[in-house]
Amino acid sequence: MVKRLFKEPLLHFLALAIAVFVAYGVFNRFEAGKPDEIVITESRVDRLAAQFAAIWQRPPTSAELKNLIDDYVKEEIFVREALALGLDKDDTIIRRRLRLKMEFLNSAETATLTPTDAELEKYLKDNPDKFEIEPAYAFVQVLLSPDLHGDRIDQDAAAVLQVLRTKLSVDPGELGDATLLPRKLEFTGKASISQTFGPAFADALDKIAPGQWTGPVESDFGLHLVRITEHQAGRAPALAEVRNVVEREWANEKRKAIEEQRLATLLTRYRITMEAKPKGAPRLANGP
Amino acid sequence: MMKQKRTIIPASIAIAVAGLALAVAVPGNASAQSATSRAAADDVSVKGAFDPDDGIARDTRPETPAGVEAKKRYSPYAGRKYPTRVFFGDTHHHTANSGDAFMAGNRLTPEQSYRFARGEEVVSSSGVPAKLSRPLDFLVISDHAEGLGVMLQVYDGNPAFASDPTLERWGKAMKAGGQEAAATMRELVSAQAQGKLPAPVKDPKVVVPIMKSVWQEYTATAEKFNDPGRFTAMIGFEWTSVPGGNNLHRNVLFRDNKDKADQILPFSSWQSEDPEKLWDWMDKYEQKTGGKLLAIPHNANLSNGRMFELVDFAGKPLSKDYAERRARWEVLQEMMQTKGSSETHPALSPNDEFADFGIAGWEYGNLTLEDKPLSRDMMPTNYLRWGLLQGLMQESKLGVNPFKFGFIGGTDVHNSLTSIEEDNFYGKHVDQEPSPTRWEHVAKQGFGKTRYNWHYTAAGYAAVWATENTREALWDAMKRKEVYATSGTRMTVRLFAGWDFTPDDARSRYVAETGYAKGVPMGADLPKLPAAGKAPSFLIAAMKDALGGNLDRIQIVKGWLDKAGKPQEKIYNVAWSDAQRRKTGNDGKLPPVGDTVDVAHATWTNTIGASELVGTWKDPDFDQSVRAFYYARVIEIPTPRWTAYDAFRFGIKMPPEVPMKHQERAWTSPVWYTPS
Repeated sequence: MVKRLFKEPLLHFLALAIAVFVAYGVFNRFEAGKPDEIVITESRVDRLAAQFAAIWQRPPTSAELKNLIDDYVKEEIFVREALALGLDKDDTIIRRRLRLKMEFLNSAETATLTPTDAELEKYLKDNPDKFEIEPAYAFVQVLLSPDLHGDRIDQDAAAVLQVLRTKLSVDPGELGDATLLPRKLEFTGKASISQTFGPAFADALDKIAPGQWTGPVESDFGLHLVRITEHQAGRAPALAEVRNVVEREWANEKRKAIEEQRLATLLTRYRITMEAKPKGAPRLANGP
Repeated sequence: MMKQKRTIIPASIAIAVAGLALAVAVPGNASAQSATSRAAADDVSVKGAFDPDDGIARDTRPETPAGVEAKKRYSPYAGRKYPTRVFFGDTHHHTANSGDAFMAGNRLTPEQSYRFARGEEVVSSSGVPAKLSRPLDFLVISDHAEGLGVMLQVYDGNPAFASDPTLERWGKAMKAGGQEAAATMRELVSAQAQGKLPAPVKDPKVVVPIMKSVWQEYTATAEKFNDPGRFTAMIGFEWTSVPGGNNLHRNVLFRDNKDKADQILPFSSWQSEDPEKLWDWMDKYEQKTGGKLLAIPHNANLSNGRMFELVDFAGKPLSKDYAERRARWEVLQEMMQTKGSSETHPALSPNDEFADFGIAGWEYGNLTLEDKPLSRDMMPTNYLRWGLLQGLMQESKLGVNPFKFGFIGGTDVHNSLTSIEEDNFYGKHVDQEPSPTRWEHVAKQGFGKTRYNWHYTAAGYAAVWATENTREALWDAMKRKEVYATSGTRMTVRLFAGWDFTPDDARSRYVAETGYAKGVPMGADLPKLPAAGKAPSFLIAAMKDALGGNLDRIQIVKGWLDKAGKPQEKIYNVAWSDAQRRKTGNDGKLPPVGDTVDVAHATWTNTIGASELVGTWKDPDFDQSVRAFYYARVIEIPTPRWTAYDAFRFGIKMPPEVPMKHQERAWTSPVWYTPS
């Protein structure tokens, strides 16, 4: 059996190949005058000088430049030797760094993304909720505070409403209670109205017909009599109105998509399995 | 030691109480029907018909600012130049770009900070979805200048940092996360305080290029989210001087856009811990770029008496030059944030029954609980109210008041989430984000005392009376100190000071018009005394947060130097809810407003208190020959504290020393009187 193996030509070939490789390696390593080469290029020197200048706000002196170059040489030698010794293996910091560089590749690619108008138009159309221009109102309101009216507040509100509807000469600013709430609000978005008057009041405006004094509308401040003077329903904006925001959101989405896609592509080249079944399988596990 | 006279007024004067003053709409005893019929008889105006005192008040009540005719005033809103709306935001906010924030586990960048502030839902670094009850109007991201973005690089293993054993250990702890990361973060804060940071992170060769790229990326993000008129992303950074653990931090706020801000790199305390050097740097920036900066110191309460110390950084007595420069650059002080309130201390203001707010845990010592515990003799230079008094004393000596500042709120959150609503509190650091055990974690120990997470306060907001929501308008309002601080509520507060406000003005239906026409707003100097015998008078109005608790009372806090030049303070109640029932006692104090908090269910009802209060007040003890300041404090009814929401939602029990409810409040910037 062993004899037969020694007669196997393939083994001869392999042995020869190993011998050649070893001889070449030894020969190459110790051959005088042929060490690894480190070339200090002109652009390298320029870059070292520029880095120095960026920090110290002046170019390096020749002595300083010499130190920078020495330092660079030292670093280059150590890096090469460390790689030869395999010191980069299983080092969390280097692994992190490499991962970060891969991620940088992504962001470098996405940083220069320039969408076409058609792409933006489509994104705007596909995400109406994201860019909807909220309803806006201009209105006049009269407040009746429960602090001052107590149990009579509903009755009093009805009486004031009657005056507002019938006495056109009345200055609404003179009716109801004094308040820091604006009595008259210029055209304002619903979210902003909600911040000042509370969400219940803002929602109620959606249901009020403009032009006519109505109410009372309840808020945390009391009862309001309201006349909407201007009203604009919520609507989908044209691209020109919201271009910057659409661009920002489009780029954000695109970046996420490219990252996901890149990872998915790489994932096809790997099979990920779990030795023990965990409670929740990882998102990326695709093996048995 | 300075002796203080701490008298309390026997009875509050000029009680222009909202409950009475505002009863102008419909008489309680007359029927609304008769009111309308009387209105019909009066075609010119129906105002008298709704006045309980009818004719008398109709003649005497000034409806309009002096000189403005009623007929011309139908649209008093058009064309006016003064601020009509208050904007709420955060002037103090950290993202993953701050070393300590990153080390404690924050992985959210400025982009997520802005999205959250604008009301979007964001997943916090601890994996919990977070959303505000309503958007903020503005946000200043003020990451630490010291090693801006550097810890991110330590974490990511920048080789320049890997050789240092401490940094390597920190890097590992950060990856471990949780309490281990939090402990590392505290180690970093201590190392910074003691000047013992690992050498590589302070090496400009390594740090400057990182800082530059992080700063410019930040300003670019700010530009992307700045939306004039709707949301302001104001540019800023924090200069983190903390010699020996004594907090001298300042936030620096830019009026400018990226083009100017990118011409510099933030000034860090590694360059100098001396505030005067910061002012030099700010001056240079303005000269170089034509831009504008202001600085807001914070956490005077953690400075061991150094915030308002009467010597400069080198230990020399303050000079006139120092006073001028400090007054120029440091126009505001942060009143309250997640690390407690800096208004005053019960030992300093024993007659102020509201002085213990946001004090527990923070009074043990300085930021890092190192050096010395806080002692009584440090207090007069450790809190804002007394800082203002020190300012008056320095002014008598130097001719310039170095401590002439307004009040503003901030959060100092380090998790990219300005989420300081009591029922929606995500803590200061990532390890304080919602969990059943967060309240009991130890934050810091020293002098035999322990600061727990439950000591942290869900506070505060910056309220800015700006003419519009833009970088320039907000900054200008801050510069003129027309701002106030809140403990986290969004209540509206107006304060005007002058010489001619009368109780009738509290009945004005146009408080702002009246106030601006007859006086100056918060943050300003009283106009010159027009005639001997006059006394400063104030018009103050407050309105509750649309989603918050009702109001308990409006107070005026007065500080002055007496004839002997000694500092004095006194608190006056100006307007309060339920005034018919609540009368000032012989000790000058009001009975408490009541309490509707149901701690077990973390709820309350607005069945007590008032939704709005307004009042005028005239200084009954005015002495025209001495310096004085006045600020208003508006206090809400009791509501549940964040700990109560935690106890309820997680079904846990906390020991009795953990407060479960409190009275939120606002503090207006002061108004100063200077004898001529």
